[in-house]
Amino acid sequence: MKRSEYIIGIGIAIVIALIAYFITQAWALGPIPPRDLRGIASFYLYSMMNEKSPFYVSSPEAVTSILWDYRGLDTLYETAVFFLAIIGAVTVFRLLREHEKKVEEHRKEIKEPGMTLIVRLITKLTFTIIMVVAASIALHGQITPGGGFQGGAALAVAPLLAIAGLSRYFVEDVGLKEKTALALRTLGLTIIGLIALIPLILMSLGGLAYFMQNLPKPWAKYIGFPEWLLGVPLGGSLFFYNIAECLAVGAGFTVVFLLLSIPEDIFKKIIEGEKGE
Amino acid sequence: MYILHLVMLAISLTLAMIFAYLAIISKDLLMAVVFSAAQSVFYALVFYLLLAPDIVLAFIAVSVGIYSALLIFVIRKTERYEKV
Repeated sequence: MKRSEYIIGIGIAIVIALIAYFITQAWALGPIPPRDLRGIASFYLYSMMNEKSPFYVSSPEAVTSILWDYRGLDTLYETAVFFLAIIGAVTVFRLLREHEKKVEEHRKEIKEPGMTLIVRLITKLTFTIIMVVAASIALHGQITPGGGFQGGAALAVAPLLAIAGLSRYFVEDVGLKEKTALALRTLGLTIIGLIALIPLILMSLGGLAYFMQNLPKPWAKYIGFPEWLLGVPLGGSLFFYNIAECLAVGAGFTVVFLLLSIPEDIFKKIIEGEKGE
Repeated sequence: MYILHLVMLAISLTLAMIFAYLAIISKDLLMAVVFSAAQSVFYALVFYLLLAPDIVLAFIAVSVGIYSALLIFVIRKTERYEKV
């Protein structure tokens, strides 16, 4: 290495050591760990499971109740950002009908898709386990750590594993095509929008409500989602939001994986064909 | 318990740094992805020790599963070995 590289490395190390010293020893950012809760955190912890509070959510999971109730609009816009990212990916990798024919031709050339028998068997077993884990993360999101996005990300790993181990064509044969995944994602987003709008729709029957209302509030008394079902706390609308978000995120990632797993030589053929014209 | 947490934090962050270094110097890009995934596992442990189980669930699925898979797709579309 050159001398200048040594100087840069030692300089970075000194800067990091100084920052670490001032934060941990001199308490430049306040004591670590903090001795008191911040005002907003104590408000959330006080009102989350407190039935007498006007901001009661009936969910013991602080993160999920903040994500979908107190800060619900933030999550709604976050979902919109993810929606736009997937739309962008689908637009960049879109296939015309003639290109889809070329993918079909390529498929006929391959005789035995996927890896060896051992890998395929293990993939099938692991696929099931991942689906169960994803479902438990998403469906229990209002009680234990987890929620829609976490469950959706875990759900997206299952088709990814199937694409790697069993080949893209196996996944398509089972019925999970790009269009199906896109439709599932749109369904999830539509459910999120509907659940957010349902209080406003019910308001036309009488009473007062607001956008993304969860449980009945003192100033909007009559409209709200169920608090308990079969002895399980649903947390009002949190449960439904989590399921829909899991579907939207999982299917959204799957669309991108299906598009990316089209072999590169097909894309090359398509580009060369366009140049020839 | 407090000291034990700090020691575990130090060990996992050190191992994560070693894997990050290996990922940077590796000329075999597929191995670099594997090192990066190992680094992410230690980061997930750090998140768990810092009492953020919600982040762990999202982070482990995205960083080990989805991110590695995206990079492997990209490597498959280009070349496996980095030329100097």
